[in-house]
Amino acid sequence: MEYTFTLKYQLAIGDDEQDSIVERLGAAGCDDALVGIGLPGRLALEFTREADSAQAAVSSALADVHRAVPSAALIEAAPDLVGLTDAAQIVGVSRQNMRKLMLAHPENFPVPVHEGSASIWHLADILDWLQTRGNYRLAQGMRELAQAAMQVNLAKETRRLTHPAAGVREALAG
Amino acid sequence: MPRLSHSKKDVESALSYAEKQGWRVDVGGGHAWGKIYCPYNDHECRCGEFCITSVWSTPKSPSNYAYALRRVVDNCTTHRKQRDPGAKE
Repeated sequence: MEYTFTLKYQLAIGDDEQDSIVERLGAAGCDDALVGIGLPGRLALEFTREADSAQAAVSSALADVHRAVPSAALIEAAPDLVGLTDAAQIVGVSRQNMRKLMLAHPENFPVPVHEGSASIWHLADILDWLQTRGNYRLAQGMRELAQAAMQVNLAKETRRLTHPAAGVREALAG
Repeated sequence: MPRLSHSKKDVESALSYAEKQGWRVDVGGGHAWGKIYCPYNDHECRCGEFCITSVWSTPKSPSNYAYALRRVVDNCTTHRKQRDPGAKE
């Protein structure tokens, strides 16, 4: 089926000429992506990619972009990290409604990745939680896609783990 | 002088839709047919990267692609605020 997702990149100094990058992306098979070049030093691709699974769609897109612009650094795969507004929009409810759900279920509403003036969650966690409550009709493949995007973002962050972090991992596991 | 039309009719209709919402359409490129520019592109924008969106000459699926172009125009945060002034961030 078709999966719609976005990959955002930071361009490397010295290889940040957007018009030439767009041409390389076209040659590398990214002609199923909308390419956004509105911010200097940034590149965003909104793919609508046909694949057997969300993971296959996202992985092949990452590989295509890497072939075209090896110097670009991935910032984020979306849909994954979301605020309440984004999550509500994706689920198709109002922000107030989503907020009410969160406040009404402090014991089991998914824990955020960051809590602050603007909290953020992994979308996959919220969708899984809603699924257990039933009666939410999500777009086909959305849970699978949120899961695949989360895997990409987690893998990207994991590369930053330094060696002593192993101790932290044990402590977290309790 | 009228601009060059895009050879895929779905894409061309999405481009004229964007133009009606105030977007500028520029033609030029190889794999890229041209670009569309958001009329606002200000610092408050939340969709920044897509304020300038490249348009392929031969997108893999013209109908999907046209749909995605329309979505960019409709998702513009400044535009959305003007359409629906009560909407909160």
